[in-house]
Amino acid sequence: MSAFKNTEELNRVLLMLWDAIREDEQMSSQLLQSKISISFYYKEPESKLTVDCTDGNEMKIYVGEINFKPVVEMYMKSDLAHDFWLGKVNIPLALISGKIVSKGPVNKALALLPVIKPAFNFYPEIYKTIS
Amino acid sequence: MDPFVFHAPTKINFGQGIAISAIELLKELGSQRAVLITDKQLVKTDLVKSLIKEWQSQGSLFVFSDVLPDANLTAVNDAARLAKQEKCDGVIALGGGSVMDTAKVVNIILAFGGNALEHQGMNNIASRLLPSVAIPTTAGTGAEVSPVAMIKDDKEGKKLFFGSEFLAMSHAILDPELIVSLPARLTAATGLDAITHCLEALVVEGTSSPFTNALAMDALRMLFNFLPEAKNNCQNMEARSQTLVASTMAGMAFSSCGVGIVHALSHALGGQFSTHHGMTNAVLLPHGMRFNLSFAAQRYAQVARYLKLTENTDDEIAANILIESLEKLIKTLGLPSNLRGLDVPELKSEKLAQLVALASSDPAMIFNTRQATPDDIVEIYRNAY
Repeated sequence: MSAFKNTEELNRVLLMLWDAIREDEQMSSQLLQSKISISFYYKEPESKLTVDCTDGNEMKIYVGEINFKPVVEMYMKSDLAHDFWLGKVNIPLALISGKIVSKGPVNKALALLPVIKPAFNFYPEIYKTIS
Repeated sequence: MDPFVFHAPTKINFGQGIAISAIELLKELGSQRAVLITDKQLVKTDLVKSLIKEWQSQGSLFVFSDVLPDANLTAVNDAARLAKQEKCDGVIALGGGSVMDTAKVVNIILAFGGNALEHQGMNNIASRLLPSVAIPTTAGTGAEVSPVAMIKDDKEGKKLFFGSEFLAMSHAILDPELIVSLPARLTAATGLDAITHCLEALVVEGTSSPFTNALAMDALRMLFNFLPEAKNNCQNMEARSQTLVASTMAGMAFSSCGVGIVHALSHALGGQFSTHHGMTNAVLLPHGMRFNLSFAAQRYAQVARYLKLTENTDDEIAANILIESLEKLIKTLGLPSNLRGLDVPELKSEKLAQLVALASSDPAMIFNTRQATPDDIVEIYRNAY
């Protein structure tokens, strides 16, 4: 069974999660330092979320279409994203097996993995709000 | 047993003098007009001159020989322009890692159009590329079977990463005749690159498998046994064959499980100081292994016993014997044992910070068995200096 019934449910969880990351001073300051912009494309159900840290001051989060080209684009199934935030995904294996697709300088995104790890702690609570 | 993926799409052809069959192999895959990507030194040699002459008698072949020792975007774009102009539908790479990485990215552009920058990423190539043949002239990089390529963006001064199962070459031709002229020092350095592939593949986190372990273990045995002879007696065809095949086996291993901290730190240094990749690995490998020791002692110990370096049943002692044996081998091969020997200038704090940023964000780092903090990376560089 899929972790999300539909796009609306997926978007609600993702927005709550990224809002929480933005509110966390340690994570947000490191993300802003990176000045990265990443679009995440999800499927089953479908969605697109963009995190824009390019101005170094404010972390902007968009759901849906955007009018700029992000530095990195990541593509994956919504269930994989769910498992990732639960800390259950073997990222190297997911990359080698092609379950995660990235366009652009993938190293910039991979370097941020340790930065967002603290969010694994509060994702289960956020996810509970939809179940 | 943990889940794993093992993928080895390249057909491997081994034999003395078989490089001549490259055009025939491409024709079998439907290619009629091939671009040969190589470097200037190689095309000057009599052996390669006669190969090209023979290939051109068999079919249409267009030669691009401007690949530099560090694969860069300029060469990719120039080679792609030539290949498009000549309507090439197949690619031959004859050379070392830079030549093969260049050929892979040229192939992406020929198959999908656009420019190289549009295609960087991981798993973002949707389908097969044009038929391709890789003929390594060094025994070390494993690029003839790997699904990745790294190209330097000269303008931005950074490395672009390309990774996809479709990047792997259709055929690899392992012809030991083509490596007998490789100078002794390069033989040693490229061999150490292959040894690094094995020792990193054996201790990666969460991606290794019985397939990658078997390939890496036996490749190590072949390299420890034959690399000194290949270096000291360049004409020894058996030693050349063993090291060539071993380096491809090592390439197959890391292609399915990744490398680790030594490659991450080595890529960063190479990007900043243009140090030779194999020699940089030779310097950093013992330090990277010591860093990983607390997480990988059992695996290193298994290697030490498999190589018959010791029968000691204490993992930590056996693992340290492996590292010491490796240091002896590096010395025997006449390779530098520290970064000063690679002409790396003194690493001041600003430069170290740059190196840490580059190494931390290197894709190889996520495969390493032990997570490295910035302080850990600085310590390894300092110890290696």
